[in-house]
Amino acid sequence: MNVIEHLQPTKVLEIEVFGIDASIYNSTLSLFFAVFIIFFFFMLVSRKAKIIPTPIQSIAEYLVDFIRLEMLAPLGSQGEKWLPFLISLFCLILISNLLGLVPGLLPPTSNINVTGTLAIIVFIMVNIVGLLKHGFLGYFRSFIPSGVPIFLIPLLFPIEVMGQVARPFSLAVRLFANMFAGHAIILVFLSFIFMFKSFLIAPLPVIGDVAISAFEIFVAFIQAFIFTYLSSSYIIGALQEEH
Amino acid sequence: MELGYLAGGIAIGLASLGTAVGIGMLAAKAMEGISRQPSAASEIRTSMIIAIAFVEALCLYALVIALILVTK
Repeated sequence: MNVIEHLQPTKVLEIEVFGIDASIYNSTLSLFFAVFIIFFFFMLVSRKAKIIPTPIQSIAEYLVDFIRLEMLAPLGSQGEKWLPFLISLFCLILISNLLGLVPGLLPPTSNINVTGTLAIIVFIMVNIVGLLKHGFLGYFRSFIPSGVPIFLIPLLFPIEVMGQVARPFSLAVRLFANMFAGHAIILVFLSFIFMFKSFLIAPLPVIGDVAISAFEIFVAFIQAFIFTYLSSSYIIGALQEEH
Repeated sequence: MELGYLAGGIAIGLASLGTAVGIGMLAAKAMEGISRQPSAASEIRTSMIIAIAFVEALCLYALVIALILVTK
């Protein structure tokens, strides 16, 4: 049996808009579910916000403070307007990753299309922010490291541009591959039962699966943090003045 | 293609070898730092986890390549 075929999303509802395939897959459904959970959670928290927080409110406050202190500290008060974007990104990735641990649901982030879209949003945003901040010429000057001899510039400029273009790829593939690999390993462990054709071997893969699932909870948090942290460091890099 | 399976196995095997060495060196240095400066333990741990995620990503690129080779 093929592990990878089991991890492909299956079509639930077929929709075609002007010749473009816009069908609802089961991973799309879990993406909607993740968005619903986030929307419901923050609505519940912000409806009856109190000065002395209720337990559920202090979770949200901790999250906001965590992103503000951990990621946007170098920007100071200027970083406040980036907070909603980064919190949305963090929550969406975190809840999507955690949904992969619910049996029967496919994590939306184990699909390269979802992570690619998120990475492209960050990439376009960072470049537009850099262009608005430094102007057209200043933006291209920021690709050249300061203090470089003039004859090295034609060599270094393409390398720096390549580095900029490679960022969304590394962001997307890192998240996608982490989620996909975690999901595939759980399935590979379970497929040992079918491979040996004996239920006597079943306890070993199941115990292994429990351990892997516990590790996956850790990975879900780490990957959401890494994606958001890197996005914020790209935004900070685009906003900072060149020396 | 039978050779595709071999290539995928070699790719992911070599990649995990390199990743193991990288993460091992990282963790060793981080522990050295923590034992020298226990008050900075939480900061060292955070930056170690971020660095490990970078190293791990390289192995996962190889995993994607291996999956492409195997399912071709």
